[in-house]
Amino acid sequence: MAVEEIEKLKGDRKMSLREMLPRFWKYLKPEMLWIILAFVFSILNVALDVISPKFIAGVVDELEGKARIFDVLTSVSAPRYVIILAVSSLVLTLLSQGFILLETWILNKAGQKIVYSLRMEVYQHVQNMSQDQLNEMPVGSLVTRVANYTASLSELFTHILVNAIKNILTVVFVFVTMLTINVVLTLFMTIFLVVIFIISFFFRNIVRKIFTEERKTISDLNTFLNENLSGMKIIQIFNQEIRKENEFDKKNDALRRCRNKVMIAFGIYRPLLSFLYFGAIATVFLCGLEFSLSSGAVLAFYLYISKFFNPIQALADQLNGIQKAFSSSERLFNLLDVKPAVRDLPDAIELNDVKGKIEFKNVWFAYEKDMWILKDVSFTINPKETCAFVGATGAGKTTILQLIVRNYEIQKGDIFIDGINIKNIKIDSLRKTVGQMLQDVFLFTGTIRSNITLHDDSYSDEEIMKVCKYVNADSFIDKTEKGLDEEIIERGENFSQGQRQLLSFARTVLAKPKILILDEATANIDTETEVLIQESLEKIKNIGTMLVVAHRLSTIQKADQIIVLQNGEIIEKGNHQQLLKNKGYYYKLYQVQFAEK
Amino acid sequence: MLLSRYLNKYYRKYWYLYLIGIIALIFVDYLQLFVPEFLGQLVGIFEDAAKDGVFTDTMRTDIIKIALYTIGIGAGLMAGRMIWRFTLFNASFKVEAGLRHDMFAKAEKLSVEYFHSNKVGNIMSSFTNDIDEISEYLGFGVVMLVDGFALGLMCFVKIAILSWQFLIILLIPMVLIVVWGLLVEKFMADNWTKRQKAFDELYDFTQESLTGIRVIKAFVKQKQEIRAFSKVAHKNKDVNVRFVLISAGFDVVIEIVIGLLFAMNLGFGGYLAVTGETINFLGIDYSINGRNLVTLIGYFDTLIWPLIAMGQIVAMYSRSKASMKRIEEYMDSPEDIKNSENPTILDNVKGKIEFKNFSFKYPSRDTNTLENVNLVIQPGECIGIVGRIGRGKTTLVNALLRIYNVNNGTVFIDDVDIMNAELKSLRNAISYVPQDNFLFSDTVKRNIAFSDVDLDDEKVKFAADFACVGNDIEGFKDKYDTVTGERGVTLSGGQKQRISIARAFVKESPIMILDDSVSAVDVKTEDTILKNIRELRNGKTTLVVASRVSTVCHLDRIIVLNDGSVEAFDTPAYLLKASPTYAKMVYLQELEQEVEGR
Repeated sequence: MAVEEIEKLKGDRKMSLREMLPRFWKYLKPEMLWIILAFVFSILNVALDVISPKFIAGVVDELEGKARIFDVLTSVSAPRYVIILAVSSLVLTLLSQGFILLETWILNKAGQKIVYSLRMEVYQHVQNMSQDQLNEMPVGSLVTRVANYTASLSELFTHILVNAIKNILTVVFVFVTMLTINVVLTLFMTIFLVVIFIISFFFRNIVRKIFTEERKTISDLNTFLNENLSGMKIIQIFNQEIRKENEFDKKNDALRRCRNKVMIAFGIYRPLLSFLYFGAIATVFLCGLEFSLSSGAVLAFYLYISKFFNPIQALADQLNGIQKAFSSSERLFNLLDVKPAVRDLPDAIELNDVKGKIEFKNVWFAYEKDMWILKDVSFTINPKETCAFVGATGAGKTTILQLIVRNYEIQKGDIFIDGINIKNIKIDSLRKTVGQMLQDVFLFTGTIRSNITLHDDSYSDEEIMKVCKYVNADSFIDKTEKGLDEEIIERGENFSQGQRQLLSFARTVLAKPKILILDEATANIDTETEVLIQESLEKIKNIGTMLVVAHRLSTIQKADQIIVLQNGEIIEKGNHQQLLKNKGYYYKLYQVQFAEK
Repeated sequence: MLLSRYLNKYYRKYWYLYLIGIIALIFVDYLQLFVPEFLGQLVGIFEDAAKDGVFTDTMRTDIIKIALYTIGIGAGLMAGRMIWRFTLFNASFKVEAGLRHDMFAKAEKLSVEYFHSNKVGNIMSSFTNDIDEISEYLGFGVVMLVDGFALGLMCFVKIAILSWQFLIILLIPMVLIVVWGLLVEKFMADNWTKRQKAFDELYDFTQESLTGIRVIKAFVKQKQEIRAFSKVAHKNKDVNVRFVLISAGFDVVIEIVIGLLFAMNLGFGGYLAVTGETINFLGIDYSINGRNLVTLIGYFDTLIWPLIAMGQIVAMYSRSKASMKRIEEYMDSPEDIKNSENPTILDNVKGKIEFKNFSFKYPSRDTNTLENVNLVIQPGECIGIVGRIGRGKTTLVNALLRIYNVNNGTVFIDDVDIMNAELKSLRNAISYVPQDNFLFSDTVKRNIAFSDVDLDDEKVKFAADFACVGNDIEGFKDKYDTVTGERGVTLSGGQKQRISIARAFVKESPIMILDDSVSAVDVKTEDTILKNIRELRNGKTTLVVASRVSTVCHLDRIIVLNDGSVEAFDTPAYLLKASPTYAKMVYLQELEQEVEGR
């Protein structure tokens, strides 16, 4: 794989803001109307929020008999004026809360829609990636991209940015309102604001460093824990408990010290800000007197100070959030830029009416350059025949099966199905034609049904049960409490090796393939199930052409053709009796592998 | 407070930090409540000035005094807040670290059996999630608890002193908030769990589906799989929309009740202050002046936080309680491998091994894996153990290490019952090479010198050469300082096996066990390693478990295991005649060599 592609996979390629903005727009565009609407609500909410201290100020001013700030109400009597202000403040609260509710609802809905469509896009993209691309990347980091990074991209727009703008608006609104009360005092407050701003951003840089250190220490500790819990047996046998405990204590203490650093940073920052807050209040008290403000105006300033200062602190946090969200988005976009490696040719065809003839013509294949796994392999399997591949480990048996379904591309030679070169066949069509029964059966969490149909709802229960009966899986399925709905836990651990094998047969047969490939498991299977599996295989091979990497004597004995491989080359061909008579390699192999049994 | 015997000892140790922190916190709360009073006084002065029409000098000095007091309080608050942050959080980190230490120490005492039946992932989740939950409660939780109670209580008292009548009228909506919080708490928690579950489902689905993507591709079921994913993703969307709406609604209700209270205060109090009237409402006389009204509003503003904190603390407590329960279960799990009451310390071990009527059954199985084994291995013998897979070879050698408990009086080393041997000395007497050759992600040197990290380089190199891995190591970029494992170079199976042989060899124990440890090594290297064993461990007992006969056919004696019992135990030459299983294995091996073209 090209270095560039791998870089994209790992998400290391840096993107400029200019490159990212149009990509963001793609996801925002469908929801833009809603986002704007939410924005309107949020402006209204901020505005109402900023007005509310005025009502208290109004009431207090009235006690002093000062001029009324709400001058439309000059003719109203004092008690009525007070009541009107109180009721208005309640109405204001109701309205502003209503706006908040609407805003949250709309934004969240839009945000979740974005997450949903992003997740679908990323997931589909990963599904279409090829096996060797997937091998380059731990499943865990792919999952993080699908589950977490998508959410943080959407959060950037529906949460962080909106709140940041809201905070800026609040500061502006409060500033303007304060200006209308007293210009000089407002400028004093602005000095405090600037100081807090500077402290906050200075603090943000320190804290970011400490947080990075903390994350590293935590992951260090967890890696240590994971490894040492897994290797506890070795630690105990080698009597290394005390040393490991000391090593653990060091890491544990490093984390504690790191947390202490966070605590000290916040322990200075927060109290310092609260002190500045009180300084600002004292300033208002003093200046109120000097500038002969009304007590209502002093009260209003008092209430505005916290509305003024809090958003600034929050803005510092939000900047961190924006940075984080950008780096997640970068990784997401990088992943989406990876192009699937095995692709259909433009004029690739669908397979129809497959007879099942398979031909390998001078096939050479290597996973790594010049390390040939298959060397000039040629053979023909006629429709409906069963062909068994035998040979020592590493002879190239399983590789042949992998190549038929184009999990890998061959370097030299050709592979034909019904005379058509598989390179010219659409991959989906090819894989639908070839039913694969792999060595280690992978079962998904879910039910027996979902594992046989692989989430394809188009099959009826009768069809499924018919297939289960056909492959002898019905006997154990019937014995379970819920039948097809019986739950399967992670990796199918609540079923035996043999039962899992039968389920994989059912899975394959249900898909009605014309060609079957089977990589027989070497693991020990209990005798009872073994009998079921052998019977089942007898039936399955009638479905179509079958290629088996065989470990069972019975499978080999009954095969129409046996191909014997050694070091990537075909050394013998024929059926069981013929090959035994030859007294060649197969004869010896037969004795090694089966004579014992 | 979160109580548990695993935490209490730390409370006792760090009580002074908690005490100082709590005092500082209460002090801060106390100072905070002066501010509304100042506001009231200030308004009072302004009122007086407005009434008289003049600003007297006393008024001026009073205001300057108030401003100075405010700064003083600001300074006091800063100091107090620093103190409680530095003490309470410090204490919580200390308790956290202590608990984590105890949990690790516990892990070191748990048996292999425990790690078999409990996934490492689950134990890890206790180490991370549960500890985080507890640490959060011990830090922020304690702050919220004390702050909520102290500030709330003092606020109530202050309001009562100012005007007990207003306390009563305010009490009703306040009770409403708390009741609402408690009522909705469970509902909210359920919704939170639902949301978390939906996310976990998405996460697990993706994880599994991408792990098994082979199958999906093989069956061309991408479309169906994507549809199934879409269902899960859709559910996530809906649950999230619902959750956010509900929690926003919850907050809105509280905000509205607070707004209502506020308006009541303002309207009712303002009316009374403006008119100067006394109103009888429900048998209580109400009256208030402007100054007290402002103070009241200030108190009221302060009271909001403790009310909200109360609701949060309940949820936090129940979460940390659940986490503590899980940790307690882990800490209480039995340690089944431990010293007997009067253990014999194995010293100067000669290396005699004896099995007497030894039978063994794994706790998780129904039948015996080994049945009635009787044999004696003399000091200094080199013994091979063969038999087909699952015939009890590993079980036999593991019994010597006491990885599992065995019946008393069945296994002896130097005539000491191993159940009665002191564990450390027993394990010191044995150099063990396990089947799964687990290495730590550390340097090659530290992996080899695992039993003694201070071992000098010469000895490490000697051991590496003993295990025929010295040349491989010299070929690595950083030689003996090469880091192996997850974050370092990937070693081949054979290299791992040989490094773990070297790791065992450096112990130079009187007994060495190799449990199928050369299976991934080529035959020539295997021969060299076996030759080294015979030469360099001359006079010491060595047990070699093998699946190939070639590995053991030159050793002193061979144990042939079949169906859980000893079929034969004798010299290779004799076994070839006497044991059909052994003879057949030798025959098959010769055939195999021919087939493989060796």
